[in-house]
Amino acid sequence: MLLVMVATIIFSWVVGLKIPEKKWLTAVSVAVSLGVLVWFKYMGFFVESFADAFGVEGLAMNIALPAGISFYTFQTLSYTIDLGRGRIQPQKSLLDFAMYVALFPQLIAGPIVVYSDIENQLDARLRKTTWDMAYEGIHRFCIGLGKKVILANNLALFVNDFQALAEDERSVVMYWAYALAFSMQIYFDFSGYSDMAIGIGKVFGFTFPENFNYPFIAKNISEFWRRWHMTLGGWFREYVYIPLGGNRVGRGHWIFNIFMVWGLTGFWHGANWTFLAWGLYFGIFLLLEKFFIDKLLAKLGPWAGHIYTVIVVVFSMVLFNADTIGDAFGYIGSMVGLGSLPLYNQITDYYLMSYGILFIACFIGCTPVLKKFRWADKLEPVISVLLLLLATAYLVDGSFNPFLYFRF
Amino acid sequence: MKKKVQVIIFAVIFFGISLTAWVSPDKEYSEAERRLLAKMPQISLESIVDGSFEEGFEKYTTDQFPLRDQFRTVKALFEYKVFGKKDNNDLYEADGHVAQILWPYNAGSVTNATDKFGSIYENLIAGTASEDKVYVSVIPDKGYYMAEASGRPVIDYEQMFSQVKEEMDYAKYIDITKDLELRSYYTTDLHWKQENILPVTEVIGQAMGLESAGKADRLEQVEAKPDFRGVYYGQSALPLPAEPIYYLTNDVIEGAVTFNFETNQEGKVYDLDGLNGKDPYDVYLSGPTPLLTIENPAAETDRQLVIFRDSFGSSLAPLLIEDYAKITLVDIRYIQSGFLGQFIEFDGQDVLFIYGTTILNDSSLLK
Repeated sequence: MLLVMVATIIFSWVVGLKIPEKKWLTAVSVAVSLGVLVWFKYMGFFVESFADAFGVEGLAMNIALPAGISFYTFQTLSYTIDLGRGRIQPQKSLLDFAMYVALFPQLIAGPIVVYSDIENQLDARLRKTTWDMAYEGIHRFCIGLGKKVILANNLALFVNDFQALAEDERSVVMYWAYALAFSMQIYFDFSGYSDMAIGIGKVFGFTFPENFNYPFIAKNISEFWRRWHMTLGGWFREYVYIPLGGNRVGRGHWIFNIFMVWGLTGFWHGANWTFLAWGLYFGIFLLLEKFFIDKLLAKLGPWAGHIYTVIVVVFSMVLFNADTIGDAFGYIGSMVGLGSLPLYNQITDYYLMSYGILFIACFIGCTPVLKKFRWADKLEPVISVLLLLLATAYLVDGSFNPFLYFRF
Repeated sequence: MKKKVQVIIFAVIFFGISLTAWVSPDKEYSEAERRLLAKMPQISLESIVDGSFEEGFEKYTTDQFPLRDQFRTVKALFEYKVFGKKDNNDLYEADGHVAQILWPYNAGSVTNATDKFGSIYENLIAGTASEDKVYVSVIPDKGYYMAEASGRPVIDYEQMFSQVKEEMDYAKYIDITKDLELRSYYTTDLHWKQENILPVTEVIGQAMGLESAGKADRLEQVEAKPDFRGVYYGQSALPLPAEPIYYLTNDVIEGAVTFNFETNQEGKVYDLDGLNGKDPYDVYLSGPTPLLTIENPAAETDRQLVIFRDSFGSSLAPLLIEDYAKITLVDIRYIQSGFLGQFIEFDGQDVLFIYGTTILNDSSLLK
């Protein structure tokens, strides 16, 4: 698995050195990088889908997914494409280039760092760590660790318990609690990893781009995606949407561009129809916002926007976590009362009592409310140490630590 | 300058913990959790490539982490006191008692257990002189007395008892739920206290026609260990007080001889060495074992009893020995029930199936 990364690094670096003279090599390099990604991440799925569609039995491919391949492939692609565009100079040092691709803090779960972001930080002589940066990095790391271990893993327990319940033990409220819990789990998990990566990066003198900016306070889906996994959205805008013509094209072409970008964004998250549908689902809402939803929300006021965004996102996460699109419809049907479930039952009561405070803590954590308390700044060092010790206590106690982002 | 000091303090804490973890000697066994701790896995190219090294290393570092028990207590307290969680790793505390959540009801598992018992009855007991002397009783777990009152999920116990009655219609059912209460159990263990189950032995004795069972005046209470901490103590990681563990004895019990088929050794009913082992509850009949007999040389009867049981039976059986010449205890978690014919011939013994609700609701271990 490591060999795939080493090969990717050497190939992109060697070809990159020649790209300024031979621009056509850009296409070759992009094709090879994408080919590797498609082979390892999607081939098994394509073969299986082909076999299903044409009823071919016994046709299957089991290819192990190298950790972080979706992230580092996008990084090498940004390097290659920017070289082809003449925006950056080739990296002369193989070691520095290898460090860029394999930079361990963000290798597995992002943020996706495009080459131009840290071009000037790769050379050890130009990179500086100050005590202030180290301090900020440590604090940021501890916040991220707490988000992941104390909040996301705890929410995951609820999500897993819900999934283990028999259908007749569930209720409509429980379905909603599940959908909200999973949405927050993904957020704290993913943004926690990003915080840890950004924090460790700072300790070593790197400034990585931000990846999340309180997405749940967005007033529409377009804003949500400017706050959620920002480096992925930025990457697709820069390397797919704008090259396709962006919105400076005819309406039909523009709609095609939107679906192209969002289909790919969805598919990037995993080799399954559910992820493709997940991406297209957002594409549809983004289009509808441009056509009429934004105008409607403007009339209804800011709260309508918040509620609309949270509902659309929460439904999307049900789809994201479903094994099949059919399952997702089943879940969403139960949420809107189409199943024959009670609104509330004793089990729901138990779980809400047991997880209520965690949910409230998570709701607060999804907003920048705590940032308003200036006194919290003074307590930063104490908070960092407490979070480190508490997260350690959680890690020591449980082997329960699912890694959600290995499949990306 | 201030930031510099803070970074250095943090680094000292961070690297201090890491260094302590590396240099502190590995422990074999966790007293609190009653299990062997993970060791450093073998490192090889193969184990790295197939991921087993990484997995083993993660277990090793978590298991051997400095102050592991204290960290677990911090986590448990944080879950209860700050997050207000109703349970931590499926254990909960109420009124000073720790109990495990028994939920949801698993009717299939109960049937699996009664099927096993049914085949034992069909193959070994039916048609013998023991046929009409078969009894069954279900021992409620602590949750029966505390789950509902403390707002925890609770199974329909009555449904479970009815199911057992219906599926074991060849046995006479003995209801013992009214003869127990929460204080009949240890606070930090799943088991009942021997000194508090005399009402249970009395009810069983009445059902089976025994004279001595349940008579407190014939027994002396001896403190075996002043500071017993049960299995839930370590699992819950909560700071709870210890309590004494007692055993009830008299001349007949002291004179009885046990024979363990697994170790081929004779012994005494109360194994005082067991008090210093992994589980002090092993003081009763030396703990879990597939097949064990208790012979009573002072018996004035030739009546015999065969008990199919889980660990609760270990503290119950000594209180019945006075009325029998021999009691055979069978634990089909550790022996294939199909092999029992080689060891026991049924020809008029009383037969008692007595199992806890926990085992019935998860009977996958029964063979």
